[in-house]
Amino acid sequence: MRTRSCLVVLCMLSAVGVCSSTSAPGVPYIRDCRSPEKETFSCWWEPGYDGGLPTQYRLYYQKEKESFKECPDYVSAGENSCYFNKIHTSFWVEYTLRVEATNAFGNSSSVFEIPDVMTYVKPDPPVNVTVLVNSTGPTPYLQIKWRPPPNVDTKSGWATIKFELRHKRNDSDNWETFNLDSREYLNLYNIEPGALYMIQVRCMLDGGSWSDWTKTTFAKMPDIEKPLWILVFAFCLIPLLATICILALKREMLKQWVLPPVPGPKIRGVDVQLLKSGRTEDFAVALIGNVNFPMKMVPVDQVEEYLLVSDSKEWLLADPYTSEKKKDPMVISAGLHLESEIQRGKSSPGQNAWDKAGDRKDEEERFESNVSQSERNLLNMEPMEKPGYPSVDQAAFTNATQPLAHSSYVDIQQPENSWEAGPTPTDYSRVNEVNGEAILILNSKNVSDGSDVQRQEGNGEVSAPDDYSRVKEVNSDVVFLQKHESVDSCGKRKEDRCTGWTSQKPAMPLELERSKGPCSEMIGNGYVDSAPAFTVQLPVQV
Amino acid sequence: MAQKRTSGGKLVIAVMCLVAMCRAVPINDLLDRASQRSDKMHSLSTTLTQEMDSHFPPYGRMQMPRPAECHTSSLQTPNDKEQALQVPESTLMSLARSLLQAWADPLVILSNSAITLPHPSKSTISSKIQELQEHSNSLADGLKILSDKMGSDAQAISFLPYTGGTDLGHDRVTILNKFNFLLSCLRRDSHKIDSFLKVLRCRAGKLQPELC
Repeated sequence: MRTRSCLVVLCMLSAVGVCSSTSAPGVPYIRDCRSPEKETFSCWWEPGYDGGLPTQYRLYYQKEKESFKECPDYVSAGENSCYFNKIHTSFWVEYTLRVEATNAFGNSSSVFEIPDVMTYVKPDPPVNVTVLVNSTGPTPYLQIKWRPPPNVDTKSGWATIKFELRHKRNDSDNWETFNLDSREYLNLYNIEPGALYMIQVRCMLDGGSWSDWTKTTFAKMPDIEKPLWILVFAFCLIPLLATICILALKREMLKQWVLPPVPGPKIRGVDVQLLKSGRTEDFAVALIGNVNFPMKMVPVDQVEEYLLVSDSKEWLLADPYTSEKKKDPMVISAGLHLESEIQRGKSSPGQNAWDKAGDRKDEEERFESNVSQSERNLLNMEPMEKPGYPSVDQAAFTNATQPLAHSSYVDIQQPENSWEAGPTPTDYSRVNEVNGEAILILNSKNVSDGSDVQRQEGNGEVSAPDDYSRVKEVNSDVVFLQKHESVDSCGKRKEDRCTGWTSQKPAMPLELERSKGPCSEMIGNGYVDSAPAFTVQLPVQV
Repeated sequence: MAQKRTSGGKLVIAVMCLVAMCRAVPINDLLDRASQRSDKMHSLSTTLTQEMDSHFPPYGRMQMPRPAECHTSSLQTPNDKEQALQVPESTLMSLARSLLQAWADPLVILSNSAITLPHPSKSTISSKIQELQEHSNSLADGLKILSDKMGSDAQAISFLPYTGGTDLGHDRVTILNKFNFLLSCLRRDSHKIDSFLKVLRCRAGKLQPELC
């Protein structure tokens, strides 16, 4: 009994041992195929359970309607693989693959259909990925280059390769991808200095599957040199700010320099500031009626005196003229001329005297012309005359090269001739003869003391022509003329002449005194005026 | 008088030749343009098949007609690189033109069917098919011009009629299957056209390696 049970157990054990150790192999199946360059392809299978016995695997393939053939190469693609070389590879043709597993107990197989090998084209990743940091330009950039996988033939046109590149910062999660077609380089510009970048490239053939990404290539961007930039910035900025400040402070001067003011009209001998002081009434008076001869500022030793011959008392002037400026001899004659003018144009008591000289008409005419000229000159001066005139005159007198800066005289009429040319001494007539009843006979002769007159010195010396007579005595009705032979034009002898000469000076008490001393017999300043209209009120200013 | 006429005629001819030469686009340029268009066509057809597969139930796959049953399978074409490089250029052009011509009608059918296709992405599919049609028509015109320059062999077109009928079927499965099958055939043929033209482009532009 016990031996039977032992035998049964032994039989069962042996049977079990035999069943568990061997069996037919499991079914293998093809897991993947791949063509890396569109010229060959390979397939790999997964073996099934081998059944405990050595199992042999075979692969058979059939191209469309051809017969099955066995795999030409089991080795080149690795284990459990079949490699189809160029000769055996056809595209756009359906493949039917069958893989068989065989062992002692049997075999098993599976079929795998490939409608088009082209669908399994997947190239290797690109190679030789190089990344360079190019800092030569104004901004640094990355120069990335690569090469297609070596087993791909890109020269025949059979396979068209396309690349794709992606990059990201080391600390970022988002890749930035670039589609490059068949280019084998790329310049990356939008990179941040000091950052670490990761770069990958992959490729594709003919619109098939993309290859794997290359191994990551790292690139570190250089930092900008901050201290240097700060230094450069500061060096440039400080002078710039300083320049701007200076320009802002000196903007007036800058404006003057850039746009120099246009000089306004200026007449020599006229002081605009004085004119602006607003004493227009003087000019109005001068223009309209009272023709007061503005006396020029003459230096002390240049006392000019006026000679006006008339038998009218009205000609005698009062004090207003004492403070007037001195006139040069020209003015005296101008005064004569003016009187003649007044004689013509206005009714004045001085007409009498002039009428008596009517027989000297040509001389008178000359006088008149002189008068008109001088008057014009005076009138010319008049617009510029203003309360500050005497000083202007003096200034002009001192500076002018002309012998006579007659700018202080007021003309009744607008003369054509410039007073600057000066009423030449030649224009004045000489008193030739004095009649008994104070008839003034005017003789026009050329006065050749132009040199005297022309002499223009800094102190404004003006010499009286030699032919001016001195008023010896002035009666109520008669003004006596003294013939004057040698009136030296030299200013030094002004004092001598002062005896007969009136001096009109602008508020120069000294001069007045001096002149008054020897001229005590003179009335007032000795300037005899025919009529009030004849008077030129000169504003007294020094 | 006659001499004047002949000289004048020669002058006119010379001028016209110059004008024609000036206005003529070089072959390399034409081939490049054609290759770009065929590339676009191929990528569109690839996208279409992927679009279809994303929603196409895989159960009917085994029953799908095999690629050997494409209406263009009868055309003998080079199937690998060596063959493609050995075939003369005019033959390649002729093959490309034949294949292109063979798909003129089926594309119309596909376009008509895509509007009512029982598929969730039918609008996308429909627009892509229309785009394919446009590319196909313009490519056909361009290839005609090219073939005129390449000789008489290039102008021969093999007639490959489509015999699948004007519609794709009546039930949903049949329609989808046929649609899918046609798209796969189109993908294969567009790839052939693209490959041939690119080989031609590379061969014609020997001095310009960047064309390959």
